[in-house]
Amino acid sequence: MARIEVKSEITGTVWKVITRPGDKVASGDTLAIVESMKMEIPVITEDGGTVKEILVKEKDPVAEGQVVAVLEE
Amino acid sequence: MNWRTEIDEIRERRRLAEACGGAEAVARHHTAGKLTVRERISSLLDAGSFREVGKLAGRGTYDKAGTLLKFEPAAYVMGIGRIDGRPVAVGGEDYTIRAGTGFGSDRRKGGQGGFIEDLAYEYRIPLVNLVDGTGGTVNTARRKGYTVVPGYGQDGFERSVDLMEVVPVVSAVMGTTAGGPSARALLCHWSIMVRGTSQIFAAGPPVVERAFGQQITKEALGGAKVAADIAGTIDNVADSEQECLAQIRRFLSYLPTNVWELPPVAARDDPAERCEEELAAIVPRSARQPYDMRRLIELIADRGSVFEIQETFGRAVITQLARMNGHVVGIIGNNPRFGGIMDYKAARKQGHFVELCDMFNIPLIFFVDLPGFMVGAESEASAMLREGVRARFIGLQVSVPVFTVIVRKCYGMAGGGAIDRRGLNFKIAWPSAEWGSLPVEGGVKAAYKREIESAPDPQQRERELEEELRQLASPLRTAEAFAVEDLIDPRETRPYLCQFIEALQPRLKTQLGPRRKGGVRP
Repeated sequence: MARIEVKSEITGTVWKVITRPGDKVASGDTLAIVESMKMEIPVITEDGGTVKEILVKEKDPVAEGQVVAVLEE
Repeated sequence: MNWRTEIDEIRERRRLAEACGGAEAVARHHTAGKLTVRERISSLLDAGSFREVGKLAGRGTYDKAGTLLKFEPAAYVMGIGRIDGRPVAVGGEDYTIRAGTGFGSDRRKGGQGGFIEDLAYEYRIPLVNLVDGTGGTVNTARRKGYTVVPGYGQDGFERSVDLMEVVPVVSAVMGTTAGGPSARALLCHWSIMVRGTSQIFAAGPPVVERAFGQQITKEALGGAKVAADIAGTIDNVADSEQECLAQIRRFLSYLPTNVWELPPVAARDDPAERCEEELAAIVPRSARQPYDMRRLIELIADRGSVFEIQETFGRAVITQLARMNGHVVGIIGNNPRFGGIMDYKAARKQGHFVELCDMFNIPLIFFVDLPGFMVGAESEASAMLREGVRARFIGLQVSVPVFTVIVRKCYGMAGGGAIDRRGLNFKIAWPSAEWGSLPVEGGVKAAYKREIESAPDPQQRERELEEELRQLASPLRTAEAFAVEDLIDPRETRPYLCQFIEALQPRLKTQLGPRRKGGVRP
């Protein structure tokens, strides 16, 4: 099973976590929302799969390129 | 008595050249998912339009009687042909022959200067480089008996540089390139590579291993993920060679043949008066929420006319060639999915795109939703300010008209870069627009610090000040003062723009020719 890392595209703070481990997601789905410069920036997965881990919680700071969630294909 | 024997020999030698590096080498190349340079050229050009030059160049081996025993064609194929009926020059290395390395001909055919670059320059027609060569080799020293200073021999990059101000130059990285061919690939107005089968770097894995003891694959070092998506060294990416060649045709369809001509006008099959209902509600009422800027542009531009440049790099800004009522335009839209925030990559991308459009007389349209430059320690360390100011500098040197549509936010230094200060300074806005030197939130705290702190209820005072300023921030007030030239119903955007793009065409004709720009970019 392929492990897919979903990363934040931008530096900011986790505003909302949308999905939970075990959820099935499709390409284009929003897994979490990062707040950056007062904007809600979605963390979108390019691949479909099952959420294995969410590595952040609300209010956590995230850096650009940081892994936010891990999916399994 | 006639010349039949010699004529037959010319035909025979052409036939030998068609064989590239031989059946075995060609089969290996095909197995790797690649087309031969001859197949690439015929896919790229209008059917049957390729007129090859120098097909007989190569290395012949003869017996004592002077009979040809063996012929190895030159590892470079070039000539002229047509794309959409317009002439282009095209050339590329033949990887199946000694990995596309040179063969010490009297005159170079192409690849770094050479005949085909001279032809594109002298005839003022676009040049397409299909790069598939591996670059310099230490073998040169063995062949010559001495080592050479870089840039030696027939051609350095002088001609390649000259071309950049007169005709469109396109490079496609079709294999693994290092050194000279990598550099040649970059000396162009637009570049493309094929995901999975092409890589580009200054030096390949063996050199890296020797330098650092680090083992790395060529894909990890210079595949599309690094070279296009992360670094933006190469502009566009295709999933197959066929798609790559189709994208080259598409790119050239927006460009004039040279800087003395205007871009071709396409058939007007999409009514200029088309108004899309969807535009009235596409921007969310909450300024915090993103929306689909690509969809917004698609609804406004001629149907099916949008071609994105550097789609995977610097994604906070979207740069596209498109048509408005048949006329080519360059579109720059901030991407709210990335907050629209200009980071150093987006700034670099915007500056390059503006320069490209200016060079080829393509007017610009900005769709602005830009809260400002990216802030923070990381951003400062990546020279955000220098890249941002450079983009602004480039914007202030353009000669083409720039049209500004303020969709939502337009703030600060970055926002100012979307405005045609050099020209008509013509900006229209949607009802969702807001602007200023910085947003009200946060800005209030900075400007009225003492007043807020000395108030009996500082939070209350801050809210009051914010509310007062927010009322003044209504775009209607700015329109009253004619400080924005128009406030429009978003659905009218297409007809509005189409009419002005039409009206500015005569001006473009007055400024044809190379752009000579002074000064030193910051």
